[in-house]
Amino acid sequence: MAEKRYGMLYDSNRCIGCQSCSVACRAENKVPDDVSRLQVWIDGPKGDYPNLTMDFHRQSCVMCDHAPCVPVCPTGASYTNKEGVNMVDAAKCVGCKYCITACPYQARFINPMTGTVDKCTFCYENRIQKGQKPACVSTCPTGALIFGDLNDPKSDIRIAANKQYVVRPREYLGTQPKFTTIPNWRGGGQV
Amino acid sequence: MSRSFSRRTFLKLSGATTAALAAASSVPKMLSWASESGKGDTIKLVRSYCEMCTSRCPIQAKVENGKVSFISGNPDWASTGGTVCARGGAAISQTYDPQRIKTPLIRVGERGEGKWKEVTWEEAYDYIADKMSEIKVNYGPESMAFACRGGPHKAYMDTLAKAYGSPNTFTHESTCPIARSVAQEATFGTTAMAIDYGNVKYLLTLGRNYFEGINVAHVRGVMSAMSKGGKLVSVDPRFSITSAKAHEWYPIKPGTDIALVLAITHVLIRDNLYDKEFVDKYTEGIDAIKDSVVAATPAWAESETGIPANDIERIARELAAAKPRAVIDWGWRTTFTSEEFELRRAIMIATLLLGSFEVPGGMFLTKTAPFINGIVGRDVIQNIMAPKTPPFPKISKPRIDGAQVKGQLNFMVSSADGVVQVIPEAILTEKPYPIKGWFVLRNNPVISQSNTNRVIESLKKLDLLVVCDLYLSDTAWFADVVLPESSSLEREEGFNNASGAAPTYTLRQQVIEPVCNSKPHWQIFKDIGERLGLGAYFPWKDMDDMRRLQLGGNLDLVMTAKEKGFINFGMKPLFLRDKNSVAEFIKKYPEAQSKVNEQGIIDGPLFKLKTHSKKIELLSHEAEELFGRGVPVYRPIKLKEDNQYYFIQGKVAIHTNAHTHNVPWLHELMPLNRVWLNPSTATQFNVVAGDKIEITSSYGKQPATVLISKGIRPDTVFTYFGFGRLSPGLKRAYKKGTNSNMMLSSEMGPVCGTSIHTGAIEIRKV
Repeated sequence: MAEKRYGMLYDSNRCIGCQSCSVACRAENKVPDDVSRLQVWIDGPKGDYPNLTMDFHRQSCVMCDHAPCVPVCPTGASYTNKEGVNMVDAAKCVGCKYCITACPYQARFINPMTGTVDKCTFCYENRIQKGQKPACVSTCPTGALIFGDLNDPKSDIRIAANKQYVVRPREYLGTQPKFTTIPNWRGGGQV
Repeated sequence: MSRSFSRRTFLKLSGATTAALAAASSVPKMLSWASESGKGDTIKLVRSYCEMCTSRCPIQAKVENGKVSFISGNPDWASTGGTVCARGGAAISQTYDPQRIKTPLIRVGERGEGKWKEVTWEEAYDYIADKMSEIKVNYGPESMAFACRGGPHKAYMDTLAKAYGSPNTFTHESTCPIARSVAQEATFGTTAMAIDYGNVKYLLTLGRNYFEGINVAHVRGVMSAMSKGGKLVSVDPRFSITSAKAHEWYPIKPGTDIALVLAITHVLIRDNLYDKEFVDKYTEGIDAIKDSVVAATPAWAESETGIPANDIERIARELAAAKPRAVIDWGWRTTFTSEEFELRRAIMIATLLLGSFEVPGGMFLTKTAPFINGIVGRDVIQNIMAPKTPPFPKISKPRIDGAQVKGQLNFMVSSADGVVQVIPEAILTEKPYPIKGWFVLRNNPVISQSNTNRVIESLKKLDLLVVCDLYLSDTAWFADVVLPESSSLEREEGFNNASGAAPTYTLRQQVIEPVCNSKPHWQIFKDIGERLGLGAYFPWKDMDDMRRLQLGGNLDLVMTAKEKGFINFGMKPLFLRDKNSVAEFIKKYPEAQSKVNEQGIIDGPLFKLKTHSKKIELLSHEAEELFGRGVPVYRPIKLKEDNQYYFIQGKVAIHTNAHTHNVPWLHELMPLNRVWLNPSTATQFNVVAGDKIEITSSYGKQPATVLISKGIRPDTVFTYFGFGRLSPGLKRAYKKGTNSNMMLSSEMGPVCGTSIHTGAIEIRKV
């Protein structure tokens, strides 16, 4: 059996910006107040009244294959694990913030409780390794998040990605994120 | 904190945990999440249902070493699929919030001055019992009013009120969806109804905002219907999230929705697009409806609503093409004008013309135990039973709101809900008689009722105000006694009837030990009852006792519920006019075969409704006789003057009504509301985003912060409600944002007693 390679697909058409995911993330990962591993941003309305649209954006680590945060880390705290998840080893992190600067997705922050860099891990240690889905995926009321093994052609995420037009965030950077988005097509007019 | 560690010092520390402990002691704000106490070996999962709003979604709480650490949906509950909304997940943050009321309080300063004495439960009970006894002697027991949110907790409140001798019990309903309930009662003879969103093919919503006024099952239903190709059309003066997700959005002129619905009805009838067979067989009054919509042409509706006539024509045709899986939503807290009863009736009638009743993707009657047992002919489903009490004392005076009182304006309003806004009026005017005491549970009239200043004025006139809440709410701020209630994670409860298209009961279970010196509501009512010598009306010991009693001693069922969080009797959804679901039902209960007609459906119950005619009433005999409002007609309502703006409000996904705004995690996500102005309005007042303005109405004024959005009509101003809190006890939410109810009148819609939520405001730059 090949190694797993985890990815996540975000259907921005199904996302309603309810923040269920960000609250679940806070609880599951004990994220302190005023910082977050995950947020949902609502952008809009755009267009000309009354033909308007609203875009939804998941703001968190996009799990790059070529992760700019990894090579800049002086202590080896930032790393990509064998299943493709970008992690921080808090014991090695000195809080130098090089990775925060290097990350083009603004996905990292200093955890004020630990003084070390924190970020989305897809709930790797607390849930994935126990065979559970990430907290955000499990609580999303509309099923806007699909998580799974990108190496498995029969996984939900591969099947869903094959059926629809998906984009990688800021693909031109060459970072090859494993987090992908189905862009919004809703709104924008009266038929 | 990171800056205080040099690299060397930091590496000396054994690891992140040590650093966490070091940091934690100096940063108390960060402790708002639950389980900082450390990693636990004992982990348990407890099934219960949520109380962060009143959808009561089944949940599963993870408890680590006695502390709740994560809340998900109950994974076995099909309609939520184990998911939960932000508010549900944040129940942790509410329960462990250091700003909760920790112990009973008695007022020592002037009312509203905020000076309190911490007391024992016994002292608080003595105070309440003495005052209630005084009120009873001096004014009569009816001078004591009782109001709660509404739900399973109401039974305990009602027991105390009835035993004490007061008819005046209320829910929050008349500040929310009561027009819908009264219209359902008039049309179908019951309010035990729902919509099968998941199978709808065409859904037209007039302000029901599924994706912000969140009920997780409805959210999933609508989303699922859309992913199967269903169409969603949103009619709302504001571009809500629901509008953003819809296939079409129409920013209707506020208050004209009835014209749209009547025009749709006009087209359905004019072009013979309606389900004639259904209407002829199951309903009464189609001729009266036909007469009433003759002049309601799409062209006329365009001039009223601003929605193009050809769009109205097309929407009517599309609805007809999708029938019977086509629904115009009867709405929720979407109260526009005094003509709410007419609007909700018009919506139900148009949906009935589509035959969208007792079919998948349509409106349906709730399949409760008595309903199913009635069809089967024997008791196959355990009903939830109430404890046997001694007879209640005779009530000497009718209710202050006249609910179900012959000859009164609110006769058609259920006395199970009542018209709660009448309480402040009765306090201030002493009509029909004085109200001197008010017991408030899980309700916050200062924020949830219209005309805030008048509500506060009334509270100041009371002899006794008792508020039972988790927080020192805006109403608690004016109380004589504040009782800390245990949060929903801290209390056992009895069964909740959650029946939909099949009978189901959910169970609330205690997840953790209470954090504060709080008690569950049922204990409080029982304790006060005992203090007043009314203990015999509470003939049970605790909730184990109550559950046993409710299920007629069936302990196996109780055990199943404790384990699963609910019991559902293994019945699949039943739609009486759908032969597939009827066939499934007969497989399970073959003795019901005799009730199935030659079309393979069970339609007997549709001729035994609790209306005058026993059928569905397009023409409501009761409303005709009492109010001359048998069929809906359009009466234009002037909602504002030319120099004013329509003022509308709505729900947001992150907060619940007048409840959650001080909950740490939710407050952090949305600490305040802003007031939405169309760019043209902003230009007119020379304001930019973030500017301060003042909005005024005949009832008060409020500071506001500008948000400029193309998603609002130029003649209308919008804000999310529940903000601008007045209690300094809500340290986070206090004075954050704009209290929208300050702007609204105390006026009530005829027939249904509803609050009216479209206001008229003026804007001033400050």
